[in-house]
This record gives sequence, C-alpha cells and structure tokens, in this order.
Amino acid sequence: MSLESIVAKVESAGRIDRDEALALYSDAPTNLLGHLAEVVRARKHPSAIVTYIIDRNVNYTNVCVARCAFCAFYRPVGSNEGYVLGFDELFKKIDETLAVGGVQILLQGGHNPDLPLEWYEDLFCAIKDRYPDFRLHALSPPELLHLSRLSQRPVPVVIERLVQAGLDSVPGGGAEILVDRVRRLLNCESKATSDEWLSVMRVVHEVGMRSTATMMYGSVETVQERVEHLYRLRELQDDTGGFTAFIAWSYQPSNTELGGPEATSVEYLRTLALSRIVLDNFDNLQASWVTQGGKVGQLSLAFGANDMGSVMIEENVVRAAGAAYCMDEVEIVRNVEDAGFIPKRRNMVYDILGDPLCRDSAVPRRTKLAVARAPGDTSIPAELSGYPARTRTGKAERAVE
Amino acid sequence: MSEDVAGVSQKILTGIRLNDEEWAELLTTRDLISLGMAADAARRRRHGDRTTFVQIVEVPVVTNATLGSLPEQAREIRLTGRPETTAMAIERVEALVSVGGGLPVTGFNLTDLFELSGRDSGRLVQVLVSLREAGLGLVGEVWAEGPLPAETAFTVLREGGMSAARLTLGESTGDEALSLIRRIASWSDAGSVCRCLAPLPRSLASPPTTGYGDLRQVALARLLVDNIESIQVDWSSYGPKLAQVALTFGADDVDAVASVGHDERGWRRSPGEEIRRNITAAGFTPMLRDGCFKAVKS
Ligand code: SF4
Repeated sequence: MSLESIVAKVESAGRIDRDEALALYSDAPTNLLGHLAEVVRARKHPSAIVTYIIDRNVNYTNVCVARCAFCAFYRPVGSNEGYVLGFDELFKKIDETLAVGGVQILLQGGHNPDLPLEWYEDLFCAIKDRYPDFRLHALSPPELLHLSRLSQRPVPVVIERLVQAGLDSVPGGGAEILVDRVRRLLNCESKATSDEWLSVMRVVHEVGMRSTATMMYGSVETVQERVEHLYRLRELQDDTGGFTAFIAWSYQPSNTELGGPEATSVEYLRTLALSRIVLDNFDNLQASWVTQGGKVGQLSLAFGANDMGSVMIEENVVRAAGAAYCMDEVEIVRNVEDAGFIPKRRNMVYDILGDPLCRDSAVPRRTKLAVARAPGDTSIPAELSGYPARTRTGKAERAVE
Repeated sequence: MSEDVAGVSQKILTGIRLNDEEWAELLTTRDLISLGMAADAARRRRHGDRTTFVQIVEVPVVTNATLGSLPEQAREIRLTGRPETTAMAIERVEALVSVGGGLPVTGFNLTDLFELSGRDSGRLVQVLVSLREAGLGLVGEVWAEGPLPAETAFTVLREGGMSAARLTLGESTGDEALSLIRRIASWSDAGSVCRCLAPLPRSLASPPTTGYGDLRQVALARLLVDNIESIQVDWSSYGPKLAQVALTFGADDVDAVASVGHDERGWRRSPGEEIRRNITAAGFTPMLRDGCFKAVKS
C-alpha cells in the first residue's frame, strides 16, 4: 500500500479503508490532503456554491450531572452559576433570530436532572404554537439518552414524544470520539457509550428525522481512534443515510478539568480533509470557524468543507473554553466570495433558501456572539415550579417559588 | 494540482518570467492548494524541513523602561516604535546593549530613520554607522515601497554597514501588495541586505485580510522571490493558527515569538513549547535562532 496508490484510489472515486486512511493522515503532506479533499468535494458539489445557515445556538441549561472532563460549560447541580432559561427568554431569542432572517434554533443543554421530559414537551409545543414554521434542531443523542433514563422510558418512546411535540431534527453533539477507551478517559462514557450514541442516531433516522454528526478531536485520542470515529459514522450512514452533515472541531482546553494544549490549525485542516475523503457518503462538511477563527474557517473551504456552518448569533460552550470568534452574515459572505465561491443561505436539510440577506437589507453588524444570559442573572423561570424536581436543591428551589 | 496553476507554478520554479495573463491566473485562482503545493516545494528545495523561529523581548523605544531581568528564553531584544530623534535611537541601543547580556539588539523602521535624518540619505548613512557602532545588530524593517525608494534603501544600508532583518510591503495591501511582490522579485540585490521578506501586512487592514488572501501572498512570495533567503510570518501579529498554516504555504521563518507566556498553564503552553509543537505538527523541524539569524543550540 503506497501513498501513490491511495491517492490514485481517492482520485478515481474509490473507497479507502481504515489502514489507508491512517497512512494518508500520517504520511501525506498537508496540501496533498487538501488536494484530495478538494477532489472529493468538487465531485459532490460541482457548482461553486458554499452554504451557511442563519440560526441561533441556544443552551437552555448549563446544569449537568455528566461532568465531562473536557467541558468548561457545565455547572453542577446547586451551583450559583447554574441556570435554566425560561420559556419567555427562549421566545425572545427566537424573535431576535427571526428578525435577522433565522430559520431555526439549535437547542442543546446540560443533563439537568430537574428538567423532566414534560418540560421539553411543553417547551417544544409552545414554540411550535407561536412559531409554526420555525425549525427545532434540538437535543443531541446523550441528551435524549439522559431523558430516557430520567423518564424511565425507552429512547424510541422519548423520541416519538418529542417529535409529537415539535422536534424537527437532531444535532450530532456529544459524539466526541466514538471509541469507548477515549470516552472513559474523557469521563463521558456514562453519558453515552459509542454504541449508545450510534444507536440513538439510528432511531432518529428510522423515525424519518435527519441529524448531523460531529467529532471533537485533539484531546486524548490517538490518530487511529480518530480514524475509527470516522468509520463508525460512515458505516451508520451507509445503513441509514440520515446524516446531513459532518462537523469536526478541536477540543478547547481552557477552563476545563482535562486541560492540556489545543490541537493546531494544521491538524484541524488535515483532520477536516481526511474526513472529507473517508466520509464519502456525507454530502456536507462544515467549517468550524467558531473554534478556528475566520481565517482558518475560510481555509476550510480549500480542505474539503462546502458549508460555513451557522452565523450562530449566540454561543456559550466553546466560549466557556476560551474561544470567542464571531462571524456575522456579512463576514461569512465576504469570506466565501473572497475564496472564489458563491454564498447561499440554506436550512438544516441543505435546501437552498436564497442569496445572502445582507445583500438586500442593512443587517446590523455583529462583532460579538450573544450569550445565554447576562452574567449575574440568576433568575429562576416561574414555569419551573410546575415541574417536579429530582434533586434536593431543585426541590428546595421550587418550594421557595 | 489544477492544470493552470500547476503549469504557471512550474514556470516560476524553472525561472521563466510570467506574462500578464499567467500572473492574473495566480491572483484570481480559487485553487489555493495548488499554489501551496508549488510554494511548499520551492521552500523545501531551499530549506528542507527546517523552520527557524526567534523568541524576543520588546522594549518601546520612547519610554525609559529598563529591561529588568531578561527572560532566559529571549534571543533578541527588539526596540519597538519610532524614536523622537536619531540621538534617542542611538542612546537606547547603547543602553540596551549594555544590559543585554550579549543578545542581539534590533529595531527601527528604516523609513522612520530616513524621516529623522531629514530625508537625507547621506545623513541616514551616518545614523546607520552610529547605530552599528552603538551595537545595533540589524535594522528591524525596510519598506519595499515608501518615501525611501527600495533601491536607495539597499544602497544606504550597504554604505552604513548594516543589514535589515526584514523587507516588508509597507502599507500595501491586496493586489497592490501582490504586484509589489512581483517587483521585489526583480531586485537582485535585495537579499544581500535583507535577511527575509515578510509578505503579510504589518498593520490591521479594514476590512481585515482573509485566510485565502494571506496564504496566497505568502505562497506567491516564496514562488517569485528567489532573491531573498527566507519568507517570514509574524507569530504575535498573525497568531498561531494562520502562522502555522503559512508554514505549509512557503514560509520558513517565524518571527516575534514571545519569550514569556501570559499565563501559568504549565510548560506545554509556554511560548517556546507552543511554537515547537506547532512547527512539528506542520511537518517541519523547529530550529531556534537569535535576532541576527544565527542558529542557537537548544
Ligand atoms: S459536554 Fe454536555 S454532557 Fe458533558 S458536561 Fe458539558 S454540558 Fe454536560
């Protein structure tokens, strides 16, 4: 197996196996990887269109019992920095998102034992009542598993109920690296093993929903394990075809228990390019400008990405771990065009919605992403008192209410 | 590699001059990767897999700040900013040399010194002689375009017995900067007085430059400018992410790595370890140098 033969295989649309992927990552010069990724990208997307979505990343709670070692976002139960957003706060965020042309929210949060399944159902119903066409891209597989455990109902039942309430699609968060040795080291095996993450996604796809897939690399995994992650996704995609896109981002070490250095930008571009080559059954790869910044985010387009992801509007998780990049629609469009591509807005399933909105209207410029809540705001939403809490702290708080 | 860019790059590598159409192809191509491949090949032919870097301590020229204790990692003391007078420049160099423990002292933009010399190149030569005698190792920066024409700048440097650390594009950005790179390539004596070419803008542009724009500039610099030994990127101005990728697009020298980190997050986050890790992860071998471009044994 020579590098030349692997290159020839990729160029002629052949599928490479794990060993070949590993050899490519280990031995190919960075620009050669970029070239091969571009070959695959151009095959899938012969037009020069690069898409992006206007949506908002909302984290409904930061209270979490999972305590992943790589996470700087969560607060334990009882922390005075813990929060749960109220329905009205979420409506306000949706109104702001609609005002700038947004089409969905990406709603994810901690595993908060004091938020029962009914809270999610009521929230989703309330959102769909008010905003029938607005899309709910919500709850990653570990959150769905958490709700299954909390409600003592099987995952398919939980998913069915949430779909009834208004869930449209599922984000691919919580995948980290789909190898249990790594998950143990990251203290995230209990929130979902590799098999559990994949089996939840299988159910999601079987009920007809679409989802994304992610990879958080650069923490404790080996390159073999990174490659293994890609193959586990590729195999599920072969079976279900339910993934719309893949997003790789680098572990952000600041303020985390795990610490250590961040993977470099060259490693990001190499990983992205390898993902494009291996994930030959994924149509779309997103650039992670939120972890890499605008410049390397733009360079992702030369290393296999065909999508600039989301304008986000708000971001809490990556910021907690030290990265605070911002790209509004104007900036995304400028970067896409500067790279020689044609920017188009899309929705979650990659239907093209149109040209950039900032072309036709003077959208206010954004230089900083919003946060879930103003610092120091510890208010407890009134409606929480209508739901049973499980923890002593939660019960006490609701009794005071 | 795309046929067009590959063909044009090959022409450059074999020393054939580009016509305007070929030049336009390089300026507008979306095929950044082919450009990067060609630049990387040119860079490896010249430097192998070696990437040099320097850790510096910056001292503003206009304050009377003393140096304090020199960080152990520092390999260059760099005077920053514009002196008020040539006498101040000379005095500050003398002062730093006396406490610098033998580290090279560098600094000043040649254009600033030209202005302070009343735009008189004869007086500028005298100033350079005095700075050299005071112990200045290298002039920090020479603009390829500005009030002091580059050809004159090179002559003045030679007559003053000085060299410059880097030739920069001054205030040129965008297509203007790329055209300037093309012109620099024809200045056969540039490399005898300028240790490297730093092809990226030195001040913030508005709107900011892009990743594609920056890397195209670095790659074209390496491909075209055969007459200057090194292509340099600035670690502190461009940040690790862009600077590291630039190493795979033709850059071989990393400037302005801090000597001391801003936090106490342990050895893996110290600037020295960070730069070595980044150079290695980009596929190169890190080599520490001093402010006068001499290799330093680790
Ligand atoms: S990554 Fe998610 S599940 Fe893990 S601790 Fe953070 S919020 Fe909780």
